[in-house]
Amino acid sequence: MYMFGFLICSCGVRAQDAVSITEQTIADIFEQYAAESDENIEYDTFYEDLMFCARNPINLNKATREELERLPFLSAIQVENILAYVYLHGPLVTLYELQLVEGLDMTDIRRMIPFVVAGEAAETNRKIYWIDLLKYGKNELYFRLDKGLETKEGYRFLPEEDVNAPQTQTGNYLGNQLYSSLKYRFHYKDRIQVGITAEKDAGEQFWGSTRKGYDFYSFYAQLNNVGKFRTIVLGDYRANFGQGLVLHSDFGLGKSSYVLNVTPRNSGLKKCGSTDESNFFQGGGVTLQLKKFDLTAFYSNKWIDGDTVNGTFQGMIQTGSHRTPAELSNKHTVNQQIIGGNVTFTRMNLQVGATIVHTLLDNKLRPDKTVYNYFYFSGNKQTTGGVFYRLRWKKLNLFGETALTGHGARATLNGCYFNPVSQVSMVVLHRYYAPEYDTFYASTFSETSRVTNESGVYIGIEVRPFRKWKFAAYADSYRFPWPRYGIDAPSVGTDCLLQADYTVNRDMAMYWRFKVEDRQTNLSPAGAVMPVVVSRKKASMRYNLTYSVGHFGFKNVLEGNLSRRATSEPTYGILASQDMSYELTVIPLKIDFRYQVFDAAEYDNRIYSYEKDVLYAFSIPMYYGLGSRYYLNLKYKLNKQFSFWFKVAQTVYADDRESVGSGKEAITGNRKTDMRLLVKWEF
Amino acid sequence: MKKSTLLLAILVLGQALHGQIATVIPSSTSIALTSVADTHTWSPFNNPAMLGYLVSPEFAIQFENRYLLSELSTKSVQLALPTALLNTGISFSHFGYSLYHEMLLGIAFARNFSDKFALAVQFNYYTAYFSASNAYHGAFLPQIGLSVRFSKVFSLGFNTFNPFQTNIETEFVVKRVPTIFSIGTEYFFSPDFVWRTQLEKEVSSNYRGAMGFEYQLLKNFEFKVGAYGSDYLVPCLGIGFITGAFLVDLNCELHPLLGLNTLAALKYRFGK
Repeated sequence: MYMFGFLICSCGVRAQDAVSITEQTIADIFEQYAAESDENIEYDTFYEDLMFCARNPINLNKATREELERLPFLSAIQVENILAYVYLHGPLVTLYELQLVEGLDMTDIRRMIPFVVAGEAAETNRKIYWIDLLKYGKNELYFRLDKGLETKEGYRFLPEEDVNAPQTQTGNYLGNQLYSSLKYRFHYKDRIQVGITAEKDAGEQFWGSTRKGYDFYSFYAQLNNVGKFRTIVLGDYRANFGQGLVLHSDFGLGKSSYVLNVTPRNSGLKKCGSTDESNFFQGGGVTLQLKKFDLTAFYSNKWIDGDTVNGTFQGMIQTGSHRTPAELSNKHTVNQQIIGGNVTFTRMNLQVGATIVHTLLDNKLRPDKTVYNYFYFSGNKQTTGGVFYRLRWKKLNLFGETALTGHGARATLNGCYFNPVSQVSMVVLHRYYAPEYDTFYASTFSETSRVTNESGVYIGIEVRPFRKWKFAAYADSYRFPWPRYGIDAPSVGTDCLLQADYTVNRDMAMYWRFKVEDRQTNLSPAGAVMPVVVSRKKASMRYNLTYSVGHFGFKNVLEGNLSRRATSEPTYGILASQDMSYELTVIPLKIDFRYQVFDAAEYDNRIYSYEKDVLYAFSIPMYYGLGSRYYLNLKYKLNKQFSFWFKVAQTVYADDRESVGSGKEAITGNRKTDMRLLVKWEF
Repeated sequence: MKKSTLLLAILVLGQALHGQIATVIPSSTSIALTSVADTHTWSPFNNPAMLGYLVSPEFAIQFENRYLLSELSTKSVQLALPTALLNTGISFSHFGYSLYHEMLLGIAFARNFSDKFALAVQFNYYTAYFSASNAYHGAFLPQIGLSVRFSKVFSLGFNTFNPFQTNIETEFVVKRVPTIFSIGTEYFFSPDFVWRTQLEKEVSSNYRGAMGFEYQLLKNFEFKVGAYGSDYLVPCLGIGFITGAFLVDLNCELHPLLGLNTLAALKYRFGK
């Protein structure tokens, strides 16, 4: 009864406000990127950056390339075309004028609208007064809790065979099953951003013998356009320069249905408030603007996790999990110092720059070398430098970067975007990363997560032949000249994708996606003296239909794949899902519900499927086996200050399995249930 | 030792790769070997119907190197002589080196029918040197080509090489001569930008699918990009220059397993 009254009291808040449209737009964009990725792509930074753009929209009449590149769904050609349009035709009077920009269709413009404005150019480096910070600064506080309902093996503290065994000796998790995070954010326009993040993973102790408080804390402060300083960052930050061959720790682009967006954006120094416990620098950095030159210097000093024994360690541990005594013993055992700099020269059609980064570890990294990791870096000092360029010549946009490590290993990536006619945009990219090239902070276009031991050519094309249709395709042919993990010989592979998008009207859209992968895998046992590799082919198809009727929204997905190793019989995987969302008009409550079934007997046929989640979270669970999954996701906006998200999801397997998961994460039974709660307070 | 290794390499490549038994047929300058519907280029031993669209005589030489091995090169020359009644073309190609080589000589007759379609027939003589018998053996092979222009921007091409599957039989070996059927399309998004596709089948190999784009970036400079695939996906890049009566084409392909394949062609067009 109280709850009912509570809900009714908040009727004044609109059911669907601009923020929720923006949130949905961001989630949709991210889904397009993440849908094909096997990796766990970081969503919170992606969301935070775009939400920041929504709150501080980019003025198209004054925007620089770097500012437009913050919108990851815009291709480099589209960015160039917007800049060229404003340069040639003068300031945009209205956003509707974007329809006249070559290479932008209505879908692109709808995506852009939350993040851009077309207005008078404002002064960007006005003096900041304390009174303005207090008056116009925005504060946000987020508190999140996650919990699995079933007890995992790691939480069964007292083994039956030894009921008196002390908790710390069983190797089980020291903490409880709760995941918790707390985030504080402050920003004043796009000039000042401050944030604090604290996180405790499930299984980590919050208050006990090994820990008092959260397991992970993070702080950042970023100031933009302060006198000659373009950027000043303190605390946790990331650095991204060039095409990512030397330094790129932010959200990376790669192969996705955004076929033209293949290389990272050159975004310089940027604060980091992510809950990712390893992928950031800790210290400070500045970017100084001197006419057409940007000069950047940064320093980082932080402790990282490693399996250190007698002054050496085999590898950096990046999971951020400190749940057991063994995991805790690896925590912060290696000191990492990083110093680096960048100089970038920018003119209208040309950008060239150079980046250098040096790392010093207080313990020696000594991987346990076998054939596949023979060239992995070992030692305690690493220096990497590179030069990058971007040149617009006629309709060609040439770009590239070449990098060298201290011991002479090379990597180079070069490509070209072009837009020969308004309906067609293309990109061609060649990369070569020597097997010896292994540097800590590289992240760029690559078939694998490591930028090493690869060469290949990628061709992407986007065609808009008719008003409501868009076709996107890519083909990537690559080669690993040295064995890699799971493949004991040099190997080759091919990826091809074709996606057809049809937008019926504002309320209905659909796409068909076809993808073919041909990779090689071991036929002989791992480590065989005469390794034999064979082809592993996978063809997949996805049909996605979204439509809305009044306050209802629906989405249907049908996905299937066929996979075959060498001459064995093909195996299949199928997934079908029905989504329904509803926005109540009487109370500011949004409900998302999904039911899906999957049937993928083999691991090779696993299917990844995006699902809606609480704010700052993004789920792309992997499905294999036979079963179903359903979830309910609620968002309730109590008033202007408080919003709540709640999600409950359950997977039920129907393939007679007696446990879900493995090791300490194993759950007895055939069900897995997760719950999440997030509270947001704006003040 | 080197010679036997090379012989072995040729045999292995011939087995492993589609199209390698057709090495004597020069690659076309059309990107990703999408020549069958290329109405602007007549490539030797590709679709002879394109000869029908020529309005002035031309002479071309071409050199193609496979995987940076000089012994795996194909050299060719061609001459086209258009007349009011029939356009005539002569072409010659040589593949290999002293111990192993193949040659192909052809004469083609083509006619353009009111710019709606062009039809051609070519008579080829194929010969190869067999070291086992220390002699040349050869055979006559016909070739038929067709190009249909459905509109100013869209056309379709068809070509068949050695449709009767003629082979060479000697006392010791039977040398298979490639039999190829090709079909393709050409679509002009604009006068400067063309898209071509091609589907090809050599009777004893896998199907080959190809797609290519050619973009006239400047009046005298062309940029080409494409890919083809059968067993492997092979990306292709190329550029073209026009200086007066001369046309220069430089194409390259990057085979993921075998490496780089390069092609250079020089064409002289009389009366330009």
